[in-house]
Amino acid sequence: MAAQGRIVWVSGPAVRADGMAEAKMYETVVVGDSKLVGEVIRLTGDVAFIQVYESTSGLKPGEPVIGTGNPLSVVLGPGIIGQLYDGIQRPLRELSKASGSFIGRGITTTPVDMAKKYHFVPTVSSGDEVAAGNVIGTVQETDLIEHSIMVPPDHAGGKITNIVPEGDYDLETELATTEKNGQTVSLKMYHKWPVRKPRPYKNRYDPTVPLLTGQRVIDTFFPIAKGGTGSIPGAFGTGKTVTLHQIAKWADSQVVVYIGCGERGNEMTEVLVEFPHLKDPRSGKPLMDRTVLVANTSNMPVAAREASIYTGVTIAEYYRDMGKDVVLVADSTSRWAEALREMSGRLEEMPAEEGYPSYLASRLAEFYERAGRVRAAGSPDRDGSVTLIGAVSPSGGDFTEPVTTHTMRFIKTFWALDAKLAYSRHYPSINWMNSYSGYLADIAKWWSENISEDWFDIRSETYGVLQREDTLKEIVRLLGPEALPDEEKLILEVARMVKIALLQQNSFDDVDTYCSPEKQFKLMKLCVDFYKKGQQALKEGAALSDIRELGVVSSLLKARMDVKDDEMPKLDKLDGDMQEQFKSISGVKVSN
Amino acid sequence: MSAKGGGVQYSKIAEIKGPLVVVDDVENAAFDELVEVETKDGERRLGKVLEVGNGKAIVQVFEGTTGLSISGTNAKFVGKVMEMPVSREVLGRVFDGLGRPKDGLPDPIADKFVDINGEPMNPEQREYPKDFIQTGVSVIDGLMTLVRGQKLPIFSGSGMSHNLLAAQIARQASVVGTDDDFAVVFAAIGVQYSEAEYFRRSLEESGALKRSVLFLNTADDPAIERIITPRVALTVAEYLAFELGIHVLVVITDMTNYAEALREISAAREEVPGRKGYPGYLYTDLSTLYERAGKLNGKKGSVTQVPILSMPSDDITHPIPDLTGYITEGQIVVGRDLFRQGVYPPINILMSLSRLMKDGIGEGSTREDHSEISNQVYDAYSRAQEVRALAGIVGKAGLTEIDLRYLELGDTFEKEFLSQATDENRTIEETLTLMWKIVSKLPKNEITKIKDRYVEQYYKEE
Amino acid sequence: MTNPALEQTIDKILNQTEEGILSNIKSALNDSYQTLDDAVPRLEQEYDKILADGKKEADKIEKQIIGSSDLEARNKQLMALEQSVDRVFSQALDQIAETDRSGNYSDLIKSLLDESTKILGTSEVVVFTNSKDRDAVQSALPNYPGSELSPKTIDCLGGVRIQSKDGTMTFDNTIDARIERLKPLIRKEIAAKFGVTN
Repeated sequence: MAAQGRIVWVSGPAVRADGMAEAKMYETVVVGDSKLVGEVIRLTGDVAFIQVYESTSGLKPGEPVIGTGNPLSVVLGPGIIGQLYDGIQRPLRELSKASGSFIGRGITTTPVDMAKKYHFVPTVSSGDEVAAGNVIGTVQETDLIEHSIMVPPDHAGGKITNIVPEGDYDLETELATTEKNGQTVSLKMYHKWPVRKPRPYKNRYDPTVPLLTGQRVIDTFFPIAKGGTGSIPGAFGTGKTVTLHQIAKWADSQVVVYIGCGERGNEMTEVLVEFPHLKDPRSGKPLMDRTVLVANTSNMPVAAREASIYTGVTIAEYYRDMGKDVVLVADSTSRWAEALREMSGRLEEMPAEEGYPSYLASRLAEFYERAGRVRAAGSPDRDGSVTLIGAVSPSGGDFTEPVTTHTMRFIKTFWALDAKLAYSRHYPSINWMNSYSGYLADIAKWWSENISEDWFDIRSETYGVLQREDTLKEIVRLLGPEALPDEEKLILEVARMVKIALLQQNSFDDVDTYCSPEKQFKLMKLCVDFYKKGQQALKEGAALSDIRELGVVSSLLKARMDVKDDEMPKLDKLDGDMQEQFKSISGVKVSN
Repeated sequence: MSAKGGGVQYSKIAEIKGPLVVVDDVENAAFDELVEVETKDGERRLGKVLEVGNGKAIVQVFEGTTGLSISGTNAKFVGKVMEMPVSREVLGRVFDGLGRPKDGLPDPIADKFVDINGEPMNPEQREYPKDFIQTGVSVIDGLMTLVRGQKLPIFSGSGMSHNLLAAQIARQASVVGTDDDFAVVFAAIGVQYSEAEYFRRSLEESGALKRSVLFLNTADDPAIERIITPRVALTVAEYLAFELGIHVLVVITDMTNYAEALREISAAREEVPGRKGYPGYLYTDLSTLYERAGKLNGKKGSVTQVPILSMPSDDITHPIPDLTGYITEGQIVVGRDLFRQGVYPPINILMSLSRLMKDGIGEGSTREDHSEISNQVYDAYSRAQEVRALAGIVGKAGLTEIDLRYLELGDTFEKEFLSQATDENRTIEETLTLMWKIVSKLPKNEITKIKDRYVEQYYKEE
Repeated sequence: MTNPALEQTIDKILNQTEEGILSNIKSALNDSYQTLDDAVPRLEQEYDKILADGKKEADKIEKQIIGSSDLEARNKQLMALEQSVDRVFSQALDQIAETDRSGNYSDLIKSLLDESTKILGTSEVVVFTNSKDRDAVQSALPNYPGSELSPKTIDCLGGVRIQSKDGTMTFDNTIDARIERLKPLIRKEIAAKFGVTN
């Protein structure tokens, strides 16, 4: 029986109701006369502590609270792709039909269009044995997404007793029935799953395949693997959101889940306006055909912000179970942590550092643990992955604050954004000395097999130049550049070249916004070759100023913008030009 | 919220602490409800319910609790949330920090009464802002372009010329090539009377007063009222923009005073503080103000916000500028060094940024080369600053030829481009010409951020 | 919270006083147009004088003068309108004060008592009223067990104010209080009748 209680206390998003002895933890409840959505987060005697996902303005003690009997769940089925949801999977487009330009309260909608028909192709027949996770058929959700209809993970399994023939059906149609021990269960195109419970899988793999993002500083220097975890902390104005948008646009995954968690409204609008017009570089289809947005902007109710992360990751796991590579971007986990802090404060829990609850670390760990490359449950065999990338917004840009430090314990790739780089307009402002990737060794194999055998060596050499420069900079700061010998000045020159030609990338430039792996490697190789030739030329008596003024330098610096991905011969020609020009200054044959 | 059974007056006051009054034996009150507190002498003050339950209501009194006593004080729960009467007639009017007339004229005859808290805009219904606003201030138009529907704060410090700049923006802001209706909403929060008066006079002198609305909470007005001032101002702005189709520029000064009022309430409620004693929900609270900027699908008007805040000790990592910067779409940072040198406007461009600039500029709105020339100017000025620092250590003699060029470029930038008179209104063409003049101080091979075809067209080596 | 009896009274009075006040408004409007007309020659004079100082300055002053004259004229209209609204109000209140206390007036008192006791959630209350309404209130009270009429009278146009017996809760349902609550809405209606729309 569902609980039926009364409100006894209201303070912001927190409500206490008595008469709730029947309620369960994390049960969804309907609060007050205006029927707001809430969730039980603590039970004491018959008093339930409820976090309300909508504004509680005007709510009064004495108003009713009614339990639904169900935990907070998402609806999983075709129609999710291309949607913009709020934190509890209400489609914002539908909400606007009910309440116009601003978000009203107490509106109920279905997350996906239940009446929309999809062409269902069954892959099992009557009499087949099925288990939880088995695919029983497919529908084409968008041009890019073939959507597998799966037996829900909590299904007991059984024999298919009835299945519809191929044809067009809506979501409420019974597609098949199963029978086991006299129990008949009906299967539809969708099922529900509680957001706080990870979806099961068969087994996990090591992440060894890189997630290619087309961003040089990420792919070449601090890569992330499919099924991996990454974090991008940075003060405001360091370009966090632009970098995340770039990943969402260009990552070579089949599905992207973008969670705007307590961030700006216009950023979600930007994605919504831009993605339908951008083409996936691999398929040529609009990017929106593979994207799901979850938006709980900063001014929307804080409790729904807490839920948005779970809503997003559950949707990601669902597509993973179809055997797809999914990238989930959460911007920003700090705002999610603040929502936890606010509810914890209202619960009057004992605070740990900076007022955050003591369970902040375990909640973060649980979240990032939902990443991974897995073999999905059921048959046929499907391998999919969820890559989790979380932005962190440290207060004052201070990386020692609790959310950043705890996050660092649970992720393997760390892209440290640097305000100083951003101030000097070096974008993406990922600091190459403070960032790291724990996947480098694992994914080197992919690069050597697919791009070039010496990828790892060339990368190490390039990174070495940057490290040398970092030490030399200290000397320059004290004594000026003229105090250095020419070989070291050359290192400064090459480092500048690496920074401008490779590390910097203009997301707003049509050509530079995405860089193919091949182009990444060639640009890097050109820098290293320039360094080697330069060293040689110095040895053979050339002046540093001659090297600096070679015509090829300025072409190299602009190559990222001037040379398109399908114009690789231009880079080869640049290489040829470089050889020629070095010959002209050293006056002797430069050996390779 | 309708007036469902409001209007009951309660006289059992349990506690008065700071700006809060705790009322006992309350049977009928709602969260966020408006409260009229009546003192022994019959003086009426406004407040709202912060927490209600178990027969107790915690009421925050906007005009402060000075002079209230446990006995003889009554609290009347009005049965609705706080509302602001709105109509076209508010243009040309002056209100106090709670939205009551301050110009000797009667209450506006309301077209409607609107909840001052507003409702969050549905992100799906937002229109992405991309209409270039020409402020006539070169450094803003050229390097940190403002667009309609943006929220772009000015981060300043005590005593600097931010008000001069805000007033100049309010006077000169126009969208080139349109004659749409526009208005200015000005909210003064805890600023000195002279500052508010400067702003009013500036609007009057430019003939803009009749299309302006002023909300004034000055330094000697009640502190807790400051929680309300930006909300009534933004409620009026939203009405003008989305009901009447007017393009509204909202200037709010000083957000630091707002945050301090919020801290005062949080302390009185004995909440667990976040950084520097500010409440943990400061970010969320600020966002409910800043996010009220924007454009909406199918609506003609827009709300553009230019909030001003003074950074305590000029510290940009202080929670107020820090959390503001995470919400707003960029920031204009006023620099102490430039201010001391007498530069106006003293904007530190390297720390400043407009996130929405990229979509508001370029072919069709400003000029095709705008984005790239702006990148190059940023890059060059950043180099110039590095060289200046270096020259301070090794002297000019230790600099290379090219370093000296950058040094010269830095000076030209500050003298000819950044510096501008308070009544000087430059067109975007004038601004772009000045930017090319600066970049032309460099040899061509130093220009790495601009495509060759623009360099050929606009570069003029001296 | 509308009350048909009250609205009828106000409507009636409105129609009676409308004409007188309309002419009032007209003269106020004429006044304000006059201000605007006066501004034009003033503007022309200033304009000629300044022309020599440069066009920019002249534009600025022009804007300023037109701006402030516009505003001045508008504000005069607002004041005139407000005066008229106030007159409608005071006349309405006078008439209500003098209304005959017989017939359906006791129904009005009963509805006010019903509403008040419901809002306080108890009929164990002390009722206050003015001397004129005492009889009507007294005769209605037996329907509210536990209620009693205070020996003290209060100064109001009519209606009741009720208080819980311990004195901690009060609800003011006098006609004065009701009009005060409705005033913003009524003002809009009156203004609309004078042809002032937003």
